[in-house]
Amino acid sequence: MKRSFFAWPYVVWMIVFTVLPLLFVAYYGFTDATGALSLDNWREFFTSGDLKTLWLSVRLALECTAVCLVVGYPAAAFLAGKDMSRHKTLFVLILLPMWMNFLLRTYAMRTMLQDNGLINAFFEAIGIGRKQMLYTEGAVLLGMVYNYLPFMILPIYTCMKKMDRRVVEAAEDLGANPLQVFCKVSLPLSVPGIVSGITMVFMPAVTTFAISKLLGGGMTFLIGDMIENMFMTLKNWQYGSTISMILLVVIIASVALLRKVDPDNQGGGLW
Amino acid sequence: MVKKALKWTYLMLILFFLYAPIVVMIALSFNASRSSAVWTGFTFDWYKDLLGDAKIMDALKVTLSVAVIATAVSTVLGTLAAIGIHGMKKGWAGWILNVSYLPMTMPDIVTGVSIMMLFVVLKMERGYWTMVMAHIAFDTPYVLFSVLPKLKQMDPNMYEAALDLGCKPFKALTKVIVPQVTPGIVTGGLLAFTMSIDDFIISYFTGGSAVNNLSIAVYGSARRGVSPSMYALSAIMFVVILVLLLIINRRSSLENV
Amino acid sequence: MYDEMRLIELKGISKNFGDTQVLRNVDLYIRKKEFLTLLGPSGCGKTTMLRIIGGFEFPTEGKVLFEGKDITDVPPYRRRVNTVFQKYALFTHMNVFDNIAFGLKLKKMGKQEIARRVGRMLELVNMEGYEKRWADSLSGGQQQRIAIARALVNEPEVLLLDEPLGALDLKLRKNMQLELKAMQQELGITFIYVTHDQEEALTMSDTIAVMSGGRIHQIGDPKKIYDEPKNAFVADFIGESNILPGVMPEDDVVEMAGQKFPCVDEGFDKNEEVDVVVRPEDIMVVGQDVGMLAGTVESVIFKGVHYEMMILAGGYRWKVHSTAMQPVGSEVGLSIVPFNIHIMHREAVSGK
Repeated sequence: MKRSFFAWPYVVWMIVFTVLPLLFVAYYGFTDATGALSLDNWREFFTSGDLKTLWLSVRLALECTAVCLVVGYPAAAFLAGKDMSRHKTLFVLILLPMWMNFLLRTYAMRTMLQDNGLINAFFEAIGIGRKQMLYTEGAVLLGMVYNYLPFMILPIYTCMKKMDRRVVEAAEDLGANPLQVFCKVSLPLSVPGIVSGITMVFMPAVTTFAISKLLGGGMTFLIGDMIENMFMTLKNWQYGSTISMILLVVIIASVALLRKVDPDNQGGGLW
Repeated sequence: MVKKALKWTYLMLILFFLYAPIVVMIALSFNASRSSAVWTGFTFDWYKDLLGDAKIMDALKVTLSVAVIATAVSTVLGTLAAIGIHGMKKGWAGWILNVSYLPMTMPDIVTGVSIMMLFVVLKMERGYWTMVMAHIAFDTPYVLFSVLPKLKQMDPNMYEAALDLGCKPFKALTKVIVPQVTPGIVTGGLLAFTMSIDDFIISYFTGGSAVNNLSIAVYGSARRGVSPSMYALSAIMFVVILVLLLIINRRSSLENV
Repeated sequence: MYDEMRLIELKGISKNFGDTQVLRNVDLYIRKKEFLTLLGPSGCGKTTMLRIIGGFEFPTEGKVLFEGKDITDVPPYRRRVNTVFQKYALFTHMNVFDNIAFGLKLKKMGKQEIARRVGRMLELVNMEGYEKRWADSLSGGQQQRIAIARALVNEPEVLLLDEPLGALDLKLRKNMQLELKAMQQELGITFIYVTHDQEEALTMSDTIAVMSGGRIHQIGDPKKIYDEPKNAFVADFIGESNILPGVMPEDDVVEMAGQKFPCVDEGFDKNEEVDVVVRPEDIMVVGQDVGMLAGTVESVIFKGVHYEMMILAGGYRWKVHSTAMQPVGSEVGLSIVPFNIHIMHREAVSGK
């Protein structure tokens, strides 16, 4: 019953298209244009202004994650509540935008934020006057939240739905009022979902470049933009790889941090 | 009762936030003028423009075909891999699974950039097929991780029962194991398809300059200028997805998928 | 009952899983039409033995012979053996008919013939009319019968059953035991049955092999194993017993609980230290002055069929089953007929 052989085509594919490319990144990240081992690029990244870009990306991602968490947690909690009828329909409706092409969604947001767009027309109508919304950091943040909110709601909802109702009933039986039930039972039990949600929002948020280009114009330059620039325009693979590796370190560090909070990894992801 | 009303209101607000831009775009797709704030009249012009826009239509074809091919290949590859890994010893299986997590946890940009480097170093011209290959690489883990849990849930005696009754191993695979994990295969396939349809960053880097998928086309045209045929495109996509989701939801509860 | 012909022979079977040795050099033969039970506690190796016979495990050492031919390396789909698994392992993606017909379809049998045989099997297991039902919509007991039908329809020479009745409730289990026995005798098939339930083994089997620690302690028919257990383990596992240490000063006499008792066992060394077995139902409670031993009743439990009394006499706590109740605290006498005192060699832990 040598079933293990079935996995080999996949393994080969993964080695070629996942492992090998990563090795390339490592290679270019640690060498200079001549191919010699060099840490120049690393030094340059930290000494030149580029560190600011990384910090900006991380900051925006954190803000986005925070907003998504604050806005999304109640939504997930309400949806998973026991007295919510037709929650399945609502659930599908929240899922729907996720399935739409994310560029088109960002484009939609852009349309609304334009100087001559709907929101400004509304502002004018009520007397506030037009505002510059596009090409600001705020627009990028809004665009991120808009795109990633469902990714925060989904895992928290799933986690809370799986919660055994009887635990809540036990707490009530022992004398806890609704607020206490929430703080002492529901919230702690929803932590795996929160961790999952944070992971699924922070990571794409930190590495995005399309949203920053479409909504931020050239004004908000993020680390994703920088990497794209290095590879496509400047053809500086070495520096680009270095930045990529630094980005990976940031990601791994944040995942490791989150692992500490949810060691059994019960979050499980989207499904 | 007040609490319930408040909860409903909150949820409705969220839904409003999520859908407002989309609804606006759909409305604008019928707007006679190019303005995004002033309604001048009803028209189908932008839809006609869209169908005539060769670039967009080509991009659409590319998106769909790449997604279909990549999904098909990755579903087969992933299912076989899950079956193989399920029969493996812990050590090997652990390694393979850890590597499989990589495409899902790595940021798209690093995946895209690194695979691009691979192609350039191998002196492979970037184009349609390189895009497909990259898609297969990031789709397959989704299939793998959808099928593997189903395999673990399966009663191991079932496979042995098939052998006991006279089935040769390969036949037991097709007659017993595959039917048992079919829900996982379907979920995985759907997930892979979704990932491919939506992909932007990886396709951007691995498709080369000549081949565009839909996301790349939207990106390009958005930077160049606003065209209402984009609204028409969004409207059509939205309706298609809505219908698809309704069908799926009717057939099986999405929550169980 | 059974033929004399040896259908299956296991010679010198040892099996290791990593560092653990699960079977130690086991020899066993099974005769045609025999109902043989492998009986023992969890972890004794009985299920592994069964799986080796079925072809799902291969022995680390030793050979398996079927009708004299070596089949040690033959895979399960080529053995004329079928298995009923502990948790039934029905194909949940098929209905009852397709489950039972599975093996027949593989043999490329004609549709009519298949239908006929499946129908006959459903009659045999009392599940007529269930053809179209989905396998996972049935109750435990029903699934059990379908699993049996699925295996038997292929008319194997040998049927292996791995604790098939474990998940059923008591009444159902007892009924199924009788049904299985009846089926086996009617069809004339060899059954190899695995269980940890000694009562089940005693009820159904022609032959019982008592196992523990990867070895067979004793093989014999139920009555022999019950009446003449070979060592303390078997005596303790089968039925309830009082086992106490004793000495044989001479033949037909054993000294235990501080007294000498006449018995009927011979062939022991002078003053050999032995284990003595007396079944609770074989101890008679009599007046204290006429008994062989004097003691006090410590506890009484009503068990329906009899009273179970713990009586402290001669320094040993005797378990006594009797329909005559003596209240707690009474001073009583115990008597044992010599025939009911059973002497066993005391063995080293590893057993011979």
